[in-house]
Amino acid sequence: MNKQWWLLAVLAVSGCATVDRGAIPVVDASAPVSEGGGRPSYQANPPAAQPAAPTDSGVVVMVPQNAGAPLQTFPAPEQGLPVEPAPMSTPGQWGASSQPPQMPGMTQPSGPSGVPSAGGLAEDEQLDGPVLALLTTAQQQQSGGDLNGAASSLERAQRIAPREPQVLYRLAEVRLAQGDVAQTEQLARRALSYASGRPALQASLWNLIAQARERMGDAAGAAQARERARVGA
Amino acid sequence: MSRSGGRSPRPRRKGSRGRFAPLWGWALKLSLVGLVILAGVAVYLDAVVQEKFSGKRWTVPAKVYARPLELFEGQKLDKDDFLTELEALGYRREKAVSGPGDMSVASNAVELHTRGFQFYEGAEEARHLRVRFAGDKVAGLSRVGAGDLAVARLEPLLIGGLYPAHNEDRILIQIDQVPPYLIETLVAVEDREFFDHFGVSPKSIARAMWVNLTAGELRQGGSTLTQQLVKNFYLTSDRTLVRKATEAMMAVLLELHYDKEEILEAYLNEVFLGQDGRRAIHGFGLASQYFFSQPLAELKLHQVALLVGMVKGPTYYNPRRHPERALERRNLVIDVLAEQAIITPEQAAAAKQRPLDVSRRGSMADSSYPAFLDLVKRQLRQDYREEDLTEEGLRIFTSFDPIAQSKAERAMTETLKRLGNRKGAEEVEGAMVVTNPETGEVQALLGSRQPGFAGFNRALDAVRPIGSLIKPAIYLTALERPSQYTLTTVIEDEPLSVKGADGQVWKPQNYDRQAHGDVYLYQALANSYNLSTARLGLELGVPNVLKTLQRLGVERDWPAYPSMLLGAGALTPVEVAGMYQTLANGGFNTPLRAIRSVLDAEGEPLKRYPFRIEQRFDPGAIYLTQYGMQRVMREGTGRSAYNQLPASLAVAGKTGTTNDSRDSWFAGFSQDLLAVVWLGRDDNGKTPLTGATGALQVWADFMRRADPLPLDPPVPDNVHYVWVDARTGQGTDSNCPDAVQMPYIRGSEPPPGPGCGLSAPAESVMDWVRGWLQ
Repeated sequence: MNKQWWLLAVLAVSGCATVDRGAIPVVDASAPVSEGGGRPSYQANPPAAQPAAPTDSGVVVMVPQNAGAPLQTFPAPEQGLPVEPAPMSTPGQWGASSQPPQMPGMTQPSGPSGVPSAGGLAEDEQLDGPVLALLTTAQQQQSGGDLNGAASSLERAQRIAPREPQVLYRLAEVRLAQGDVAQTEQLARRALSYASGRPALQASLWNLIAQARERMGDAAGAAQARERARVGA
Repeated sequence: MSRSGGRSPRPRRKGSRGRFAPLWGWALKLSLVGLVILAGVAVYLDAVVQEKFSGKRWTVPAKVYARPLELFEGQKLDKDDFLTELEALGYRREKAVSGPGDMSVASNAVELHTRGFQFYEGAEEARHLRVRFAGDKVAGLSRVGAGDLAVARLEPLLIGGLYPAHNEDRILIQIDQVPPYLIETLVAVEDREFFDHFGVSPKSIARAMWVNLTAGELRQGGSTLTQQLVKNFYLTSDRTLVRKATEAMMAVLLELHYDKEEILEAYLNEVFLGQDGRRAIHGFGLASQYFFSQPLAELKLHQVALLVGMVKGPTYYNPRRHPERALERRNLVIDVLAEQAIITPEQAAAAKQRPLDVSRRGSMADSSYPAFLDLVKRQLRQDYREEDLTEEGLRIFTSFDPIAQSKAERAMTETLKRLGNRKGAEEVEGAMVVTNPETGEVQALLGSRQPGFAGFNRALDAVRPIGSLIKPAIYLTALERPSQYTLTTVIEDEPLSVKGADGQVWKPQNYDRQAHGDVYLYQALANSYNLSTARLGLELGVPNVLKTLQRLGVERDWPAYPSMLLGAGALTPVEVAGMYQTLANGGFNTPLRAIRSVLDAEGEPLKRYPFRIEQRFDPGAIYLTQYGMQRVMREGTGRSAYNQLPASLAVAGKTGTTNDSRDSWFAGFSQDLLAVVWLGRDDNGKTPLTGATGALQVWADFMRRADPLPLDPPVPDNVHYVWVDARTGQGTDSNCPDAVQMPYIRGSEPPPGPGCGLSAPAESVMDWVRGWLQ
């Protein structure tokens, strides 16, 4: 429950952020961490941001059916990201016509296509039924202390919507709670690659990376990540 | 002679006189001793009976499950594929769905009652579902009578087990899980006095003797169910009187200690009901799955009668081998039930009308997917002791997708059949690995061109030179240096020779034995030019290319010879899949996984194999490499894939051919599906197939059947598209005639060119276009 609040606080403090244009440094840090050894050290290591009242920079979706905790989702200010990766390309012209401009799968510009966002609270509907349901289940498992179960449910959601950054974000959170800081950062990075045009989510992901680095004892790296969370706010 | 004759009566007389009195004494003593011994034996047998019966009665091999099929609105799922899965799971087509295992099929919807299942993260309850289809998608999912449902899972298909040396397999059941009529039928057929006798039945023995005498041959055994259990459970099968006596004694002892229900439950789990290759089918639970692909509780009267009828002679009455005998026996059992008024004559008549209903093959037979099971076993053996795997009843949940597997098998079989008229093609073997690049999960595996082949697993064990499959690693190494290389950097495709450290001269050649002069970097990749690639690789340094390979996930320690640049190094198909997975997944490496989780026999979570990733490359460099690999498919060596695939399906890949076409490789991916195909001969002989004419054809056939999502990577922040002149590679403007868009790492693009004053002559544009499309 605390977590929800400080997350909102992080969002409130950091506001909108965008990812740096520069290349993301590649970190080779992945020690195998036992799945069983998850410690709920989440609360024991409070983030830098101070608790603050939630503002409209984050949207709280109430979990349907007596779930213990509200489920955190993120607004997508400009475009909604479809849960299913949808083909953006114009099919079929290239082989047939004599115009070779670019690959259908590599169309640019890069804006995610899909459902036009209605704005406001309708944004919570971006999450498809199954993904929302599984995120809800995972939330319940996590608050019940079943971190492995939560991770398992989130991987189920990931198989359904592999490109939904919120799923990866939640998975990264669970890994952090399990003490697997290396995977926390890696999953957050993967989420960032799908979070284009969603500055609030990007900021939260960078904050997650900052926490992971703090726990690894990498203070400079953590500060850098926090900086990225603030950039473009 | 006489001496001996004279001498002999004396002792005899002495003996005979002295024999009688002590003999009685001896007899008394002996019988006392006998009694003591008998008592001792009884005590001993009693201990044996109790010891084995009170402890763990059976060891149960680990069971391996496929992925459970997820159902949700918007899911891409062909209705026919769905029905195939349901049939494999033993669902019965009925007019109306009335209970677990029933389905009813309409033109665009399927109603079914799932069975429920215990998964790692929780239980999936049994539910009455309605799945609506539109096109190849699930258009709606609801609970009948309870509104829409966000997501549901079917129970997973059992795809095999891990059997110990003695190959005994069973699915343990409890007595309250049995279907109606099973116990009545068993008792009626095998032991009518079961609920009244004390382990042995003098009445049955008498009747058996009478029957045997009147028939003049041995027809009836007279063994009670308890005796049969004792025989199977404790004793060997030799038919001696001593054994018969022991059996009777133990049966009585068993009845003394345990009630009828416990004995019956043990019997139901112990009885031998068939042989599947080297695996012995024990118990009604497994027999039900093996013969009907259904859980025991769902069996109907006619199926129950068949199984009970088989107790008498599982081999003789095997319904798959001897359907007529089995049918006759089944109907006899049904008649007995009617005779004893357990069922009505109408019920009997109706049951006798039913066919045997035996499923086509043991769908859970160990032999169905040996290549994939082999992979699972190897992974499990790293984490578990052999006896844990074969005895503890573990439940192994894998990522195996039977639908993808069957499409891969068909693609391999039918493509090789199509290519079969080429000389030497019949000698060609094959292997295939199918994964989901976004999760790193293995979905299907072929260890041979022959489905179900259980021998040499080529997907895991055939280590073969990868040829041009290595090239993306070279181009990736280059594209990681945007200040030096872009997709439109011009490189030379001209002959070269290198003197190696060992004094040997390496002189690569192009496949067409031509040099192609100046080409763009991406063209050299698309057309798999060896000369320009070798030059590029030497410029980059062979050790750097090998480092890239390691970061892609290749764990071999290859020497840094120049010949490595054209794929002299050898890998297995599964290793290639690991390498290409990193390319397909935006530069994030994921160790390939076949197992998701393990539960113990009680359904308690034991272990999970979590999704793990590690970013190994700059997303921009990967994006550009993928772009080049898409050009392979559109205009390069992979273009014949589009004879089978729709143009809208963006895919990326690479062909690989080794000297004299000894190995024909293709590795490629869409957004959500990655497949690696290898064709070649086990004796490493020449084949008539190149990467493009062989493996690519299998790959494309599979992709056509699987119909995956088009490749659609998010454009990384450090990549943008720029208009360039296709003929010069210089920056230009969108309204210029030769202008094409190319992706570049920011800062590496050519400087913007002047706008177009004069448009180039149309003729030369067309020339260029033709050249490019070729």
